[in-house]
Amino acid sequence: MMDSTINRRHLLAGLGAASLAGLAGKPALAQAAEIPIGMVLPFSGATGPYGPDMKKAADLVVKIINDGGGILGGRKLHLYIEDSETNPTVGVTATRKLLDVNKVELVGGFWGSPIALAAKPLILAANKVEMVSASANGITDGDTKGLIYRFQAKSSQWGPVGAKVMTSLKLKKVTVLAQQNPFVISMIEPFKAEMARLGGQVMDVIQYNPDQASYRAEVEKAFGPEPDGVFCLSLLTDFVAISKEVYRGGFKSKVLGLGTGADADGAYLKSVTPEVAEGIHHLQPAPPMDSAAYKKFVKLMGAPEGTAFLFAGNTHDQVCVTALAMEHAKTQEAAVWVKSIREVCNPPGEEVDDILKALEMVRAGKKINFVGAGATVDFDERGDQLNRSFLHQVIENGKNKIVEVLT
Amino acid sequence: MIAYLTTLIVLVAISALVGLALNVQWGAAGLVNFGVVGFVALGAYTTALLAPPLGWFPAMIAAAALCALISTVLAFLSIRLEENYLAIVTIGFGEVVRILLLNESWLTGGAVGIADIPRPFVNLVSQQHNDLVLAAFALALVAGVFTLLETLVRSPFGRALRAVRDDSTVAAALGKPVLLLRVKAFATGGAVMGLAGALHAFYLTYIDPSQFTSIITAYAFMAVIAGGRGSNFGLLFGAGTIMALLEATRFLKDAFAVIDGTQLAALRLGLIGLGIVLLLILRPQGLLPEPQRKVRDFFPDHEGSS
Repeated sequence: MMDSTINRRHLLAGLGAASLAGLAGKPALAQAAEIPIGMVLPFSGATGPYGPDMKKAADLVVKIINDGGGILGGRKLHLYIEDSETNPTVGVTATRKLLDVNKVELVGGFWGSPIALAAKPLILAANKVEMVSASANGITDGDTKGLIYRFQAKSSQWGPVGAKVMTSLKLKKVTVLAQQNPFVISMIEPFKAEMARLGGQVMDVIQYNPDQASYRAEVEKAFGPEPDGVFCLSLLTDFVAISKEVYRGGFKSKVLGLGTGADADGAYLKSVTPEVAEGIHHLQPAPPMDSAAYKKFVKLMGAPEGTAFLFAGNTHDQVCVTALAMEHAKTQEAAVWVKSIREVCNPPGEEVDDILKALEMVRAGKKINFVGAGATVDFDERGDQLNRSFLHQVIENGKNKIVEVLT
Repeated sequence: MIAYLTTLIVLVAISALVGLALNVQWGAAGLVNFGVVGFVALGAYTTALLAPPLGWFPAMIAAAALCALISTVLAFLSIRLEENYLAIVTIGFGEVVRILLLNESWLTGGAVGIADIPRPFVNLVSQQHNDLVLAAFALALVAGVFTLLETLVRSPFGRALRAVRDDSTVAAALGKPVLLLRVKAFATGGAVMGLAGALHAFYLTYIDPSQFTSIITAYAFMAVIAGGRGSNFGLLFGAGTIMALLEATRFLKDAFAVIDGTQLAALRLGLIGLGIVLLLILRPQGLLPEPQRKVRDFFPDHEGSS
């Protein structure tokens, strides 16, 4: 008897079979020589908008490396990407899957500190390398076994830059309005310290919970006493709501936001009308936009000249650094090649931004100083990135205008 | 692969515990609890805070006890209110817990959370077997709780609970202490949710408020609905099915190159939704429904009524 309809059982059976095929078939089909690497990126949830570009950048550079002959004598990289759903528990299962099923040497990506922090113990226990695009200080604190590298500015680096922007805008009395999350809260103290040093005054620090239905009370409290400026430490969804609330209330204090909220790869300007966004200043760790490496990267992504990719450059660089370190250490063994990262990334050495050329030079035994698309990719001994430049922009007539680049 | 499977076992165990707890409260006693995640978070944080000074076992017991206590208080709070208001009170409770955890940084670490939570039996085995031992512990915990709850549900107490669920007026008329029965059921469920939270903390060894979102509550209800309300066997099956669906879909993109991460993200949640809708249409009583005894089971000759 033939059953012509697809019922639930068949669907379940099909799914199960598909997953088994995925489990069983993949390692057998894959060439033994492939080097598996993995990334956990957000494709859904609050940070979902960042995932696709980060994935695209990583995929593109993997293809370039593989088409250029691979690494370690012609072996190809195989990049597995999992969705974090902006949820730490999901991030953990995704990391587990990458480590144990795909046997990856690197778990990279990681937009968002809570997910990077939750995945950290697993990756360290497996002796693999974690590369993050997240800011919380806690990620590189404690015993990291030297296996964690941060492709992003540390939270405590953001604060002083905020104070410098406030000072250059001549805002003396300021208030901080901050979301409760590990990325943002480690900025507050360094910001206050730098403000005091520069002769300014922090009148109040107001913290709010993420995912609130309304931010009216917090906005009234922060803007009501009419400070010169308000430093809004927010992510995208809450900053959209807050800036609308500020516009509605007709408050006059200048707003300085973070790029994670007030830009978010252009998502902010799509979410509000130009009147709401007018005059908002924001800052973020930026790729060195004038560097040749970054311009090449924008072209690679097929975007118009001058596009600011905030995070996509980081995954691009994670793949490049991994490939270079493996080639330098002549092994795919994570615990070994991780020691080569600073060898190929930090000065001294010949500066090079082309991954294929860089690989060739490493093979020839030359000392290189790789320059990435997202940053110059130099690291200190804890794995924190050095020399991150920050971009200060202002929104005018619905467009971002660059004010200055701070270092 | 083994370590990945142990992860799945632990996660299924956590959701099974949460589901079993909800199955006592909502399945057997008819008390809607939309604040499930609050109790799980409370259990996790109690464990995380008490395990370093007291050891894992006392911490786990304390987590269960605290959750039971708070459940009792909540159940009493809603005594003057109509039944459905318990649902609203529990939503409120879940939110209160989340906001407290996020803001009382002196105790909970706030948004930064708590790291390095000690695991049970960690000194007995080598590091690579750590996960295996935890998975075995999780299974033992589920087995223990399952046996306990199944015994409870089959006992006179369980029968009285179902009577209260199906018609509290009739139960009261028959002299059953309706309020006490409800409070007991709610506290039992709360304690088990605390245990689930403890297991969550042991497994992740790092907790922060963003791990305890209302999706935990939603998955618990899905597991109960999928398995069959009131049926503990069904619940285990339901919790396992949902986790299997969520994780199995991960492999779709490895097997088929046409599906990329972005589509898969939407597809996975869509599939779960579709599954639940189909289930409710085709099999509203759940996959392994609660056995219902009819009058004719006792009086085969008696036709017509039930």
